[in-house]
Amino acid sequence: MSVEFQYIHKAFDTENGKPKYILKDVNLTIGDGEFICVLGKSGCGKSTLLNLLAGYLRPDKGRIVVNGKDVDGPSEERGVVFQQHALFPWYTVRENIEFGPRLKKRKDVHELADKYIEMIGLKEYEDAYPAELSGGMAQRVGIARALVNDPAVLLMDEPLGALDALTRDTMRKELVRIWQLSKKTVFFITHSVPEAVYLADRVIILAEGQVALDEPIRLPRPRDIRSEAFENYVDLFSEHLSGGAQEALIAE
Amino acid sequence: MKADFAQKLPFGGRMMSFHDGLVLSQFAPEPHVEEDVVPRKILEERKARNDKYYKAISLAIFFVIWQVICYLNGQANWFNPVFLPSPLMVVETGWQYLMDGTLVTHIGISFFRMIAGFAIGVVVALVLGLAIAMRRDVDNIFSPILNMVGPIPVFAFLPIFLIWFGIGEASKIALIAYATFIPLMTYIIDGVKATDPLLIRSAKSLGATEWQVFTKVILNSAMPHIFAGMKITLALTFSALVVAEMMGASSGLGYIIVNAKNWFKMADMFLAATLIGLEYTLFYGFLCLIEKRLFRWKAVASGKAVEK
Repeated sequence: MSVEFQYIHKAFDTENGKPKYILKDVNLTIGDGEFICVLGKSGCGKSTLLNLLAGYLRPDKGRIVVNGKDVDGPSEERGVVFQQHALFPWYTVRENIEFGPRLKKRKDVHELADKYIEMIGLKEYEDAYPAELSGGMAQRVGIARALVNDPAVLLMDEPLGALDALTRDTMRKELVRIWQLSKKTVFFITHSVPEAVYLADRVIILAEGQVALDEPIRLPRPRDIRSEAFENYVDLFSEHLSGGAQEALIAE
Repeated sequence: MKADFAQKLPFGGRMMSFHDGLVLSQFAPEPHVEEDVVPRKILEERKARNDKYYKAISLAIFFVIWQVICYLNGQANWFNPVFLPSPLMVVETGWQYLMDGTLVTHIGISFFRMIAGFAIGVVVALVLGLAIAMRRDVDNIFSPILNMVGPIPVFAFLPIFLIWFGIGEASKIALIAYATFIPLMTYIIDGVKATDPLLIRSAKSLGATEWQVFTKVILNSAMPHIFAGMKITLALTFSALVVAEMMGASSGLGYIIVNAKNWFKMADMFLAATLIGLEYTLFYGFLCLIEKRLFRWKAVASGKAVEK
């Protein structure tokens, strides 16, 4: 499904009687099946942009169009993975994953859940409650819960930040594999530049509430993170993020 | 050949002296036994289980001391023994009540009033509390009224209730229900409002309707608050019960106290008070039991703040 942000303005506060815009005139078109990564410093409005697309917030000006229809509140066609796992503490791992399919009264709920529990490697923990899981495990359940619902657009707000380096790597590869199979449109927020270059078709950098850079990544998949072309992309984005300062970032 | 073999033995095949034995024992591999380690968390749980017995013992000692004081008072005459009946006298009084058949009636009627009032109070509080918490218009209509009436001590209404509902059961149950409903409502509203908005968001993005968000997220999240509220409110329910039975009643545990006062029967007063305490404890324990079963998900991660 294609996603269009048109003339988006969003403010939470006023200053001298005028709205203090977090997002100011954001225009962005995401093609069907495209994998977009949004980079930006904290406070640049990237999470706000995601909350708008998810339908939790409404723009003050402008509109968001998904597949020809205006966004009007949250919907199962736009699945969300949150920064914190946001699992239901009163449900077990399995019940959390089955939440979406059960609402739709699907017949194959159990098999579906089995498949995803297997994928995230938590077979032993399927009857555990979220309070019994480590942060990384809980986050994996959060990702599985969104994926099992098979949304056409997947919104992810720094979903891998809480994971350890090894699991994060596995999840990135898994994510690319799932995306290539299902051809979902993915809207992915991160602050890790190499992660963005590894995952995305296109990288958007937000700065001061506006699109500062919109750059497609022309690298074949699977991507070699040690190749020179990869490094060049990382350098380009790092430079943009650090505001042109020539200091090298200690990335990850 | 023989010598070679002897060389391989410890101490070259000599007879082992005591000293050699001591030395050898230093090098002897430790016998492979499964280590007897019990996780601290489990030890902690065992200790917690023992706490129950300690508490029971403490209670028993309390009664023993009481009995001893009464006995010594009988010997030394510190104060008039009528003022403080001994536990055994209270038990004896209870036995008399039981024998003439009135004890069961009194306990039964008190229990019925309490249950009926508590149940009605909880149901009304649930309906109104959830409606107020979920809907702004209901909140605007009812909250100001409840905020005005709520702080008035419940017992100020007893005479009014007596006139409105008559001297029978209705006025008593109404008072008990009212005493339950007012404080419980606050807990219900707080419970609903404390729902993590992130969970509501995630449910909606998984395709939940407003009603499904309410039943699957908000209710689940508010339930522990509601139960905590019920446990706290229970004490108020019981005081309402006793007060209601002290005025315009001819049966019940509260009635025993008032009646005993007229005849200066101290043991009867202590008996009724003890029974009220027991009934409360029983009901409180019952609520705790339900709570424990319902909210297993809450208990799983709770450990000690710092292990010792």
